[in-house]
Amino acid sequence: MAIQIPATKEVLTALIRADFTTVWRNRRSLRLVLAVPLIILISWKGLVSHLGAFVVLSSVLTIGLTSIGLMGYTNSIARDRDKGVFQRLRVAPVSSWTIMFSRISVQVALIAVMTLLVFTVGYAVDGIRISALGYVTGFLMTLLAGCLYLGLGQLITGLIKNPETVNSTTRLVYFAFIMVGMFGQFGVLGDVVKYFVIWSPYGVVQKALAGSLQPLTWTMDHTLAVAGILAYTLVFVGLGVKYFKWDNK
Amino acid sequence: MITTDASLILDVNQISVYYGQFQAVKEVSFNVRPGEIFGLLGPNGAGKTSTLSAIEGLLKPHAGTITVAGYDVVKQPLEAKANMGVQLQSTSYQPELTITDILRLFAGIYGVKLTSAEITKKLEDIQLLDAVGKKFGQLSGGQQQRVSLLIATIHNPVLVLLDEPTTGLDPQSRRQLWERIEGIREQGHGVLLTTHSMEEAEAVCDRIAIIDHGRIIAIDTPERLIDLHREDPEVISVSRKGKITLEDVFIGLTGRAVRS
Repeated sequence: MAIQIPATKEVLTALIRADFTTVWRNRRSLRLVLAVPLIILISWKGLVSHLGAFVVLSSVLTIGLTSIGLMGYTNSIARDRDKGVFQRLRVAPVSSWTIMFSRISVQVALIAVMTLLVFTVGYAVDGIRISALGYVTGFLMTLLAGCLYLGLGQLITGLIKNPETVNSTTRLVYFAFIMVGMFGQFGVLGDVVKYFVIWSPYGVVQKALAGSLQPLTWTMDHTLAVAGILAYTLVFVGLGVKYFKWDNK
Repeated sequence: MITTDASLILDVNQISVYYGQFQAVKEVSFNVRPGEIFGLLGPNGAGKTSTLSAIEGLLKPHAGTITVAGYDVVKQPLEAKANMGVQLQSTSYQPELTITDILRLFAGIYGVKLTSAEITKKLEDIQLLDAVGKKFGQLSGGQQQRVSLLIATIHNPVLVLLDEPTTGLDPQSRRQLWERIEGIREQGHGVLLTTHSMEEAEAVCDRIAIIDHGRIIAIDTPERLIDLHREDPEVISVSRKGKITLEDVFIGLTGRAVRS
Protein backbone atom coordinates (compact mmCIF):
# COMPACT_ATOMS: atom_id res chain seq x y z
CA MET A 1 0.00 0.00 0.00
CA ALA A 2 1.34 3.42 -0.94
CA ILE A 3 2.56 5.66 1.90
CA GLN A 4 1.06 9.15 2.14
CA ILE A 5 3.17 12.32 2.42
CA PRO A 6 3.68 13.24 6.10
CA ALA A 7 2.06 16.49 7.29
CA THR A 8 4.24 19.60 6.90
CA LYS A 9 3.74 20.39 10.59
CA GLU A 10 5.18 17.01 11.59
CA VAL A 11 8.16 17.42 9.26
CA LEU A 12 8.87 20.96 10.46
CA THR A 13 8.60 19.93 14.11
CA ALA A 14 11.14 17.15 13.58
CA LEU A 15 13.54 19.43 11.67
CA ILE A 16 13.31 22.33 14.12
CA ARG A 17 13.82 20.03 17.11
CA ALA A 18 16.93 18.54 15.49
CA ASP A 19 18.29 21.96 14.50
CA PHE A 20 17.77 23.36 18.01
CA THR A 21 19.45 20.28 19.48
CA THR A 22 22.39 20.81 17.12
CA VAL A 23 22.83 24.44 18.20
CA TRP A 24 22.42 23.54 21.89
CA ARG A 25 25.01 20.72 21.72
CA ASN A 26 27.37 23.05 19.90
CA ARG A 27 27.58 25.22 22.99
CA ARG A 28 31.12 26.47 22.48
CA SER A 29 30.12 28.12 19.22
CA LEU A 30 26.85 29.30 20.79
CA ARG A 31 28.68 30.93 23.71
CA LEU A 32 31.15 32.60 21.36
CA VAL A 33 28.42 34.06 19.16
CA LEU A 34 26.56 35.42 22.18
CA ALA A 35 29.64 36.47 24.12
CA VAL A 36 31.13 38.87 21.53
CA PRO A 37 28.37 41.53 21.74
CA LEU A 38 28.15 41.18 25.52
CA ILE A 39 31.90 41.61 26.01
CA ILE A 40 31.85 44.72 23.83
CA LEU A 41 28.81 46.05 25.69
CA ILE A 42 30.45 45.59 29.09
CA SER A 43 33.78 47.04 27.92
CA TRP A 44 31.99 50.07 26.45
CA LYS A 45 30.39 50.95 29.79
CA GLY A 46 32.56 54.04 30.07
CA LEU A 47 31.59 55.18 26.55
CA VAL A 48 27.84 55.26 27.24
CA SER A 49 27.99 58.84 28.53
CA HIS A 50 30.15 59.97 25.55
CA LEU A 51 28.45 58.16 22.66
CA GLY A 52 24.95 57.87 24.03
CA ALA A 53 23.06 54.79 25.16
CA PHE A 54 21.31 54.34 21.80
CA VAL A 55 24.53 54.38 19.78
CA VAL A 56 26.15 51.87 22.16
CA LEU A 57 23.15 49.52 22.18
CA SER A 58 22.60 49.71 18.43
CA SER A 59 26.30 49.17 17.67
CA VAL A 60 26.47 46.17 20.00
CA LEU A 61 23.29 44.66 18.52
CA THR A 62 24.71 45.16 15.01
CA ILE A 63 27.88 43.32 16.01
CA GLY A 64 25.75 40.53 17.53
CA LEU A 65 23.73 40.20 14.34
CA THR A 66 26.93 40.04 12.31
CA SER A 67 28.23 37.26 14.58
CA ILE A 68 25.06 35.18 14.24
CA GLY A 69 24.56 35.73 10.52
CA LEU A 70 28.15 35.29 9.43
CA MET A 71 29.75 33.01 12.00
CA GLY A 72 26.78 30.88 13.05
CA TYR A 73 24.38 30.45 10.14
CA THR A 74 26.85 30.59 7.24
CA ASN A 75 29.33 28.11 8.66
CA SER A 76 26.65 25.62 9.73
CA ILE A 77 25.11 25.65 6.24
CA ALA A 78 28.51 25.25 4.56
CA ARG A 79 29.49 22.40 6.90
CA ASP A 80 26.25 20.45 6.53
CA ARG A 81 26.25 20.84 2.77
CA ASP A 82 29.82 19.57 2.61
CA LYS A 83 29.05 16.57 4.83
CA GLY A 84 26.00 15.61 2.76
CA VAL A 85 23.49 16.30 5.55
CA PHE A 86 21.24 18.22 3.16
CA GLN A 87 21.38 15.51 0.51
CA ARG A 88 20.19 12.94 3.05
CA LEU A 89 17.28 15.21 3.98
CA ARG A 90 16.44 15.92 0.35
CA VAL A 91 15.96 12.25 -0.55
CA ALA A 92 13.23 12.19 2.13
CA PRO A 93 9.77 13.68 1.52
CA VAL A 94 10.92 17.12 2.65
CA SER A 95 10.47 20.31 0.64
CA SER A 96 13.60 22.41 0.32
CA TRP A 97 11.84 25.38 1.92
CA THR A 98 11.12 23.42 5.11
CA ILE A 99 14.82 22.60 5.53
CA MET A 100 15.76 26.29 5.19
CA PHE A 101 12.80 27.49 7.24
CA SER A 102 13.91 25.28 10.11
CA ARG A 103 17.51 26.51 9.90
CA ILE A 104 16.43 30.16 9.79
CA SER A 105 13.97 29.69 12.67
CA VAL A 106 16.84 28.59 14.90
CA GLN A 107 18.88 31.65 13.91
CA VAL A 108 15.93 33.98 14.50
CA ALA A 109 15.53 32.46 17.97
CA LEU A 110 19.25 33.06 18.58
CA ILE A 111 18.85 36.67 17.47
CA ALA A 112 15.96 37.06 19.93
CA VAL A 113 18.04 35.57 22.77
CA MET A 114 21.04 37.77 21.89
CA THR A 115 18.85 40.90 21.81
CA LEU A 116 17.28 40.13 25.19
CA LEU A 117 20.72 39.43 26.69
CA VAL A 118 22.07 42.73 25.33
CA PHE A 119 19.07 44.62 26.74
CA THR A 120 19.46 42.90 30.10
CA VAL A 121 23.23 43.39 30.39
CA GLY A 122 22.90 46.96 29.09
CA TYR A 123 20.37 47.67 31.81
CA ALA A 124 22.14 45.84 34.63
CA VAL A 125 25.81 46.57 33.89
CA ASP A 126 25.90 49.74 31.78
CA GLY A 127 22.89 51.34 33.44
CA ILE A 128 21.19 51.95 30.09
CA ARG A 129 17.56 52.98 30.49
CA ILE A 130 15.24 53.29 27.49
CA SER A 131 11.46 53.38 27.20
CA ALA A 132 9.35 50.21 27.13
CA LEU A 133 8.28 51.14 23.59
CA GLY A 134 11.96 51.49 22.66
CA TYR A 135 12.66 47.97 23.87
CA VAL A 136 9.74 46.59 21.84
CA THR A 137 10.53 48.43 18.60
CA GLY A 138 14.24 47.79 19.08
CA PHE A 139 13.56 44.07 19.49
CA LEU A 140 11.42 43.96 16.33
CA MET A 141 13.98 45.95 14.35
CA THR A 142 16.71 43.53 15.43
CA LEU A 143 14.70 40.66 13.97
CA LEU A 144 14.25 42.57 10.70
CA ALA A 145 17.90 43.60 10.55
CA GLY A 146 18.90 39.99 11.27
CA CYS A 147 17.44 39.07 7.87
CA LEU A 148 20.12 41.21 6.21
CA TYR A 149 22.97 39.29 7.83
CA LEU A 150 21.31 35.91 7.31
CA GLY A 151 20.87 36.98 3.68
CA LEU A 152 24.55 37.90 3.49
CA GLY A 153 25.39 34.48 4.90
CA GLN A 154 23.16 32.89 2.28
CA LEU A 155 24.95 34.86 -0.43
CA ILE A 156 28.36 33.67 0.80
CA THR A 157 27.25 30.01 0.84
CA GLY A 158 25.69 30.55 -2.59
CA LEU A 159 28.88 31.90 -4.12
CA ILE A 160 31.39 29.69 -2.29
CA LYS A 161 31.13 25.91 -1.90
CA ASN A 162 34.24 24.91 -0.01
CA PRO A 163 33.43 25.10 3.74
CA GLU A 164 36.96 26.17 4.66
CA THR A 165 36.85 29.00 2.14
CA VAL A 166 33.40 29.95 3.47
CA ASN A 167 34.84 29.96 7.00
CA SER A 168 37.78 32.17 6.11
CA THR A 169 35.58 34.49 4.03
CA THR A 170 33.07 34.97 6.84
CA ARG A 171 35.89 35.72 9.30
CA LEU A 172 37.32 38.28 6.89
CA VAL A 173 33.94 39.91 6.24
CA TYR A 174 33.15 39.82 9.98
CA PHE A 175 36.43 41.48 10.83
CA ALA A 176 35.99 44.08 8.09
CA PHE A 177 32.44 44.85 9.18
CA ILE A 178 33.34 45.27 12.82
CA MET A 179 36.60 47.16 12.40
CA VAL A 180 35.69 49.35 9.44
CA GLY A 181 32.10 49.72 10.68
CA MET A 182 32.95 50.64 14.25
CA PHE A 183 35.86 52.95 13.54
CA GLY A 184 34.34 54.25 10.32
CA GLN A 185 31.07 55.32 11.90
CA PHE A 186 32.92 57.45 14.43
CA GLY A 187 34.91 59.16 11.67
CA VAL A 188 38.26 57.69 12.78
CA LEU A 189 38.96 56.52 9.22
CA GLY A 190 38.03 59.80 7.55
CA ASP A 191 34.91 61.37 6.06
CA VAL A 192 34.85 59.29 2.87
CA VAL A 193 34.95 56.01 4.78
CA LYS A 194 32.38 57.38 7.23
CA TYR A 195 30.00 58.14 4.35
CA PHE A 196 30.37 54.62 2.91
CA VAL A 197 30.01 53.02 6.34
CA ILE A 198 26.75 54.90 6.96
CA TRP A 199 25.23 53.31 3.84
CA SER A 200 26.94 49.95 4.24
CA PRO A 201 25.07 46.90 5.64
CA TYR A 202 26.72 47.71 8.98
CA GLY A 203 25.70 51.37 8.88
CA VAL A 204 22.06 51.00 7.85
CA VAL A 205 21.48 48.34 10.50
CA GLN A 206 23.16 50.42 13.20
CA LYS A 207 21.20 53.54 12.17
CA ALA A 208 17.83 51.78 11.98
CA LEU A 209 18.42 50.09 15.34
CA ALA A 210 19.43 53.36 16.99
CA GLY A 211 16.21 54.94 15.66
CA SER A 212 14.03 52.03 16.73
CA LEU A 213 15.37 52.18 20.29
CA GLN A 214 14.08 55.77 20.55
CA PRO A 215 10.98 55.64 18.33
CA LEU A 216 9.72 59.07 19.36
CA THR A 217 12.71 60.72 17.67
CA TRP A 218 12.37 58.72 14.42
CA THR A 219 13.51 60.71 11.33
CA MET A 220 13.64 60.34 7.55
CA ASP A 221 17.25 59.12 7.89
CA HIS A 222 16.00 56.18 9.94
CA THR A 223 13.35 55.40 7.32
CA LEU A 224 16.05 55.45 4.63
CA ALA A 225 18.16 53.13 6.76
CA VAL A 226 15.23 50.66 6.97
CA ALA A 227 14.83 50.95 3.18
CA GLY A 228 18.54 50.17 2.93
CA ILE A 229 18.10 47.07 5.11
CA LEU A 230 15.26 45.86 2.89
CA ALA A 231 17.20 46.56 -0.31
CA TYR A 232 20.36 44.79 0.90
CA THR A 233 18.28 41.84 2.17
CA LEU A 234 16.47 41.47 -1.16
CA VAL A 235 19.72 41.54 -3.12
CA PHE A 236 21.59 39.17 -0.76
CA VAL A 237 18.72 36.68 -0.46
CA GLY A 238 17.91 36.87 -4.19
CA LEU A 239 21.48 36.16 -5.26
CA GLY A 240 22.07 33.73 -2.39
CA VAL A 241 19.08 31.59 -3.30
CA LYS A 242 19.83 31.82 -7.03
CA TYR A 243 23.39 30.57 -6.71
CA PHE A 244 22.90 28.20 -3.76
CA LYS A 245 23.59 24.53 -4.45
CA TRP A 246 22.42 21.81 -2.09
CA ASP A 247 25.14 19.33 -2.93
CA ASN A 248 28.86 19.51 -2.30
CA LYS A 249 29.97 18.68 -5.85
CA MET B 1 6.51 4.89 -26.57
CA ILE B 2 6.53 5.35 -22.81
CA THR B 3 4.42 2.99 -20.79
CA THR B 4 4.24 2.34 -17.07
CA ASP B 5 3.10 -0.75 -15.24
CA ALA B 6 1.27 0.09 -12.01
CA SER B 7 2.28 -3.24 -10.40
CA LEU B 8 5.95 -2.30 -10.56
CA ILE B 9 7.51 -0.76 -7.49
CA LEU B 10 10.03 1.15 -9.57
CA ASP B 11 9.72 1.81 -13.26
CA VAL B 12 12.58 3.61 -14.98
CA ASN B 13 11.61 4.34 -18.56
CA GLN B 14 14.03 5.66 -21.20
CA ILE B 15 15.73 8.22 -18.93
CA SER B 16 18.57 10.43 -20.09
CA VAL B 17 20.72 12.62 -17.85
CA TYR B 18 23.06 15.34 -19.07
CA TYR B 19 25.75 17.37 -17.33
CA GLY B 20 26.10 20.29 -19.71
CA GLN B 21 26.86 18.70 -23.09
CA PHE B 22 27.93 15.38 -21.56
CA GLN B 23 25.29 12.66 -21.57
CA ALA B 24 25.87 10.56 -18.45
CA VAL B 25 22.77 8.35 -18.78
CA LYS B 26 21.47 7.30 -22.21
CA GLU B 27 17.85 6.11 -22.49
CA VAL B 28 18.11 3.75 -19.56
CA SER B 29 15.12 1.53 -18.76
CA PHE B 30 14.60 -1.09 -16.07
CA ASN B 31 12.16 -1.92 -13.32
CA VAL B 32 12.00 -3.42 -9.87
CA ARG B 33 9.19 -5.76 -8.93
CA PRO B 34 7.70 -6.45 -5.51
CA GLY B 35 9.86 -8.88 -3.51
CA GLU B 36 12.89 -8.39 -5.76
CA ILE B 37 16.47 -7.31 -5.15
CA PHE B 38 17.74 -5.62 -8.28
CA GLY B 39 21.43 -4.85 -8.68
CA LEU B 40 22.83 -2.03 -10.77
CA LEU B 41 26.44 -2.76 -11.64
CA GLY B 42 28.93 -0.73 -13.59
CA PRO B 43 32.50 0.56 -13.58
CA ASN B 44 33.30 3.96 -12.10
CA GLY B 45 31.69 6.74 -14.12
CA ALA B 46 29.34 4.35 -15.93
CA GLY B 47 26.19 6.25 -14.89
CA LYS B 48 25.08 4.30 -11.79
CA THR B 49 25.08 7.23 -9.38
CA SER B 50 23.46 9.55 -11.93
CA THR B 51 20.69 6.98 -12.50
CA LEU B 52 20.24 6.54 -8.76
CA SER B 53 20.25 10.31 -8.19
CA ALA B 54 17.50 10.71 -10.78
CA ILE B 55 15.41 8.05 -9.01
CA GLU B 56 16.04 9.73 -5.65
CA GLY B 57 14.91 13.05 -7.09
CA LEU B 58 18.29 14.71 -6.57
CA LEU B 59 18.59 15.50 -10.25
CA LYS B 60 15.99 15.84 -12.98
CA PRO B 61 16.28 13.57 -16.01
CA HIS B 62 16.25 15.44 -19.32
CA ALA B 63 14.06 12.76 -20.89
CA GLY B 64 12.08 9.71 -19.85
CA THR B 65 10.00 8.94 -16.77
CA ILE B 66 10.57 7.36 -13.37
CA THR B 67 7.72 6.15 -11.20
CA VAL B 68 7.92 4.85 -7.63
CA ALA B 69 4.82 3.00 -6.40
CA GLY B 70 3.00 4.65 -9.31
CA TYR B 71 4.16 8.19 -8.43
CA ASP B 72 6.16 10.16 -10.98
CA VAL B 73 9.36 11.34 -9.26
CA VAL B 74 9.38 14.61 -11.22
CA LYS B 75 5.68 15.47 -11.05
CA GLN B 76 4.94 14.04 -7.58
CA PRO B 77 8.34 14.13 -5.87
CA LEU B 78 7.12 14.12 -2.26
CA GLU B 79 4.74 11.19 -2.83
CA ALA B 80 7.49 9.26 -4.61
CA LYS B 81 10.03 10.02 -1.85
CA ALA B 82 7.54 9.04 0.86
CA ASN B 83 7.44 5.58 -0.72
CA MET B 84 11.17 5.03 -0.92
CA GLY B 85 13.88 4.60 1.66
CA VAL B 86 17.39 5.66 0.74
CA GLN B 87 20.82 4.76 1.99
CA LEU B 88 23.29 7.09 0.31
CA GLN B 89 26.87 6.07 -0.38
CA SER B 90 28.28 8.54 2.15
CA THR B 91 25.48 9.27 4.53
CA SER B 92 26.03 11.96 7.09
CA TYR B 93 23.94 13.49 9.82
CA GLN B 94 24.55 16.53 11.98
CA PRO B 95 27.56 15.44 14.10
CA GLU B 96 25.99 16.86 17.27
CA LEU B 97 22.99 14.49 17.12
CA THR B 98 22.91 11.14 18.89
CA ILE B 99 21.58 8.01 17.20
CA THR B 100 18.31 8.45 19.13
CA ASP B 101 18.04 12.08 17.94
CA ILE B 102 18.64 10.98 14.34
CA LEU B 103 16.00 8.25 14.58
CA ARG B 104 13.51 10.74 16.03
CA LEU B 105 14.33 13.24 13.26
CA PHE B 106 13.78 10.79 10.43
CA ALA B 107 10.74 9.19 12.05
CA GLY B 108 9.22 12.69 12.20
CA ILE B 109 10.19 13.45 8.62
CA TYR B 110 8.52 10.26 7.39
CA GLY B 111 5.48 10.79 9.63
CA VAL B 112 6.22 7.78 11.85
CA LYS B 113 5.40 8.13 15.52
CA LEU B 114 7.99 6.34 17.68
CA THR B 115 7.98 6.11 21.45
CA SER B 116 11.23 5.82 23.38
CA ALA B 117 10.48 2.13 23.95
CA GLU B 118 10.00 1.59 20.21
CA ILE B 119 13.29 3.33 19.45
CA THR B 120 15.03 1.13 22.00
CA LYS B 121 13.44 -1.97 20.41
CA LYS B 122 14.57 -0.93 16.94
CA LEU B 123 18.14 -0.40 18.13
CA GLU B 124 18.02 -3.72 19.95
CA ASP B 125 16.92 -5.40 16.71
CA ILE B 126 20.08 -4.20 14.98
CA GLN B 127 22.23 -4.98 18.03
CA LEU B 128 23.00 -1.34 18.75
CA LEU B 129 21.31 -0.86 22.08
CA ASP B 130 24.56 0.42 23.58
CA ALA B 131 24.72 3.13 20.89
CA VAL B 132 21.63 4.99 22.11
CA GLY B 133 23.56 8.01 23.36
CA LYS B 134 26.39 7.83 20.86
CA LYS B 135 26.92 10.15 17.93
CA PHE B 136 26.88 8.70 14.40
CA GLY B 137 30.59 9.47 13.94
CA GLN B 138 31.45 7.41 17.03
CA LEU B 139 30.12 4.20 15.46
CA SER B 140 32.16 1.71 13.44
CA GLY B 141 31.57 1.40 9.69
CA GLY B 142 29.35 -1.66 10.15
CA GLN B 143 27.32 0.01 12.89
CA GLN B 144 26.88 3.14 10.75
CA GLN B 145 25.59 1.01 7.87
CA ARG B 146 23.11 -0.72 10.20
CA VAL B 147 21.83 2.62 11.47
CA SER B 148 21.59 3.99 7.93
CA LEU B 149 19.61 0.95 6.79
CA LEU B 150 17.34 1.25 9.82
CA ILE B 151 16.68 4.90 8.96
CA ALA B 152 16.11 4.03 5.30
CA THR B 153 13.44 1.52 6.31
CA ILE B 154 11.98 3.32 9.33
CA HIS B 155 8.74 4.07 7.44
CA ASN B 156 8.49 0.59 5.91
CA PRO B 157 8.87 1.83 2.31
CA VAL B 158 7.90 -0.22 -0.73
CA LEU B 159 11.23 0.58 -2.40
CA VAL B 160 14.65 0.70 -0.74
CA LEU B 161 17.59 2.23 -2.61
CA LEU B 162 21.02 1.19 -1.38
CA ASP B 163 24.10 2.83 -2.87
CA GLU B 164 27.10 0.52 -2.32
CA PRO B 165 25.83 -0.51 1.13
CA THR B 166 28.62 -2.94 2.02
CA THR B 167 31.67 -0.96 0.89
CA GLY B 168 34.34 -1.08 3.58
CA LEU B 169 32.59 -3.67 5.75
CA ASP B 170 34.24 -6.77 7.18
CA PRO B 171 32.83 -10.16 6.02
CA GLN B 172 30.71 -10.62 9.17
CA SER B 173 29.10 -7.18 8.88
CA ARG B 174 28.57 -7.71 5.17
CA ARG B 175 26.82 -11.05 5.69
CA GLN B 176 24.65 -9.51 8.38
CA LEU B 177 23.67 -6.66 6.07
CA TRP B 178 22.85 -9.12 3.28
CA GLU B 179 20.47 -10.89 5.64
CA ARG B 180 18.78 -7.61 6.46
CA ILE B 181 18.44 -6.77 2.76
CA GLU B 182 16.97 -10.22 2.14
CA GLY B 183 14.58 -9.56 5.02
CA ILE B 184 13.29 -6.49 3.15
CA ARG B 185 12.66 -8.70 0.10
CA GLU B 186 10.79 -11.23 2.22
CA GLN B 187 8.38 -8.49 3.26
CA GLY B 188 7.46 -8.09 -0.42
CA HIS B 189 9.33 -4.82 -0.85
CA GLY B 190 11.67 -4.01 -3.69
CA VAL B 191 15.38 -3.22 -3.32
CA LEU B 192 17.59 -1.46 -5.82
CA LEU B 193 21.26 -1.66 -4.91
CA THR B 194 24.42 -0.56 -6.60
CA THR B 195 27.60 -2.44 -5.88
CA HIS B 196 31.11 -3.06 -7.13
CA SER B 197 31.12 -6.48 -5.51
CA MET B 198 30.24 -9.25 -7.96
CA GLU B 199 30.12 -11.64 -5.03
CA GLU B 200 27.43 -9.49 -3.46
CA ALA B 201 25.48 -9.24 -6.71
CA GLU B 202 25.55 -13.01 -7.14
CA ALA B 203 24.71 -13.64 -3.49
CA VAL B 204 21.72 -11.35 -3.01
CA CYS B 205 20.42 -9.98 -6.32
CA ASP B 206 17.53 -11.63 -8.13
CA ARG B 207 18.26 -9.64 -11.29
CA ILE B 208 21.07 -7.34 -12.27
CA ALA B 209 21.68 -4.71 -14.91
CA ILE B 210 25.16 -3.85 -16.12
CA ILE B 211 25.52 -0.23 -17.10
CA ASP B 212 28.45 1.18 -19.02
CA HIS B 213 29.04 4.53 -20.73
CA GLY B 214 25.52 5.51 -19.65
CA ARG B 215 23.77 2.57 -21.32
CA ILE B 216 22.45 -0.70 -19.96
CA ILE B 217 24.36 -3.37 -21.81
CA ALA B 218 22.93 -6.45 -20.08
CA ILE B 219 20.01 -7.19 -17.82
CA ASP B 220 18.99 -10.57 -16.41
CA THR B 221 19.44 -12.92 -13.44
CA PRO B 222 23.09 -13.46 -12.47
CA GLU B 223 22.88 -17.13 -13.50
CA ARG B 224 21.41 -16.40 -16.93
CA LEU B 225 23.95 -13.63 -17.57
CA ILE B 226 26.75 -16.10 -16.89
CA ASP B 227 25.08 -18.72 -19.13
CA LEU B 228 24.44 -16.23 -21.93
CA HIS B 229 28.01 -14.97 -22.04
CA ARG B 230 30.10 -18.00 -21.07
CA GLU B 231 31.10 -18.56 -24.71
CA ASP B 232 32.01 -14.92 -25.44
CA PRO B 233 35.71 -14.69 -26.34
CA GLU B 234 36.09 -11.48 -24.25
CA VAL B 235 34.64 -13.27 -21.23
CA ILE B 236 36.76 -16.39 -21.69
CA SER B 237 39.89 -14.26 -22.13
CA VAL B 238 39.45 -12.61 -18.71
CA SER B 239 38.50 -15.82 -16.88
CA ARG B 240 41.10 -16.62 -14.23
CA LYS B 241 40.36 -20.10 -12.95
CA GLY B 242 38.67 -21.79 -15.87
CA LYS B 243 35.26 -21.31 -14.29
CA ILE B 244 33.21 -18.38 -15.65
CA THR B 245 32.04 -16.06 -12.90
CA LEU B 246 29.83 -12.97 -12.89
CA GLU B 247 32.98 -10.88 -12.53
CA ASP B 248 34.36 -12.43 -15.75
CA VAL B 249 31.11 -11.54 -17.54
CA PHE B 250 31.23 -8.02 -16.10
CA ILE B 251 34.84 -7.40 -17.16
CA GLY B 252 34.25 -9.12 -20.49
CA LEU B 253 31.34 -6.79 -21.22
CA THR B 254 32.78 -3.56 -19.85
CA GLY B 255 36.45 -4.07 -20.75
CA ARG B 256 39.69 -4.44 -18.78
CA ALA B 257 40.59 -0.76 -18.77
CA VAL B 258 40.61 0.83 -15.31
CA ARG B 259 38.09 3.68 -15.07
CA SER B 260 38.83 6.83 -13.17
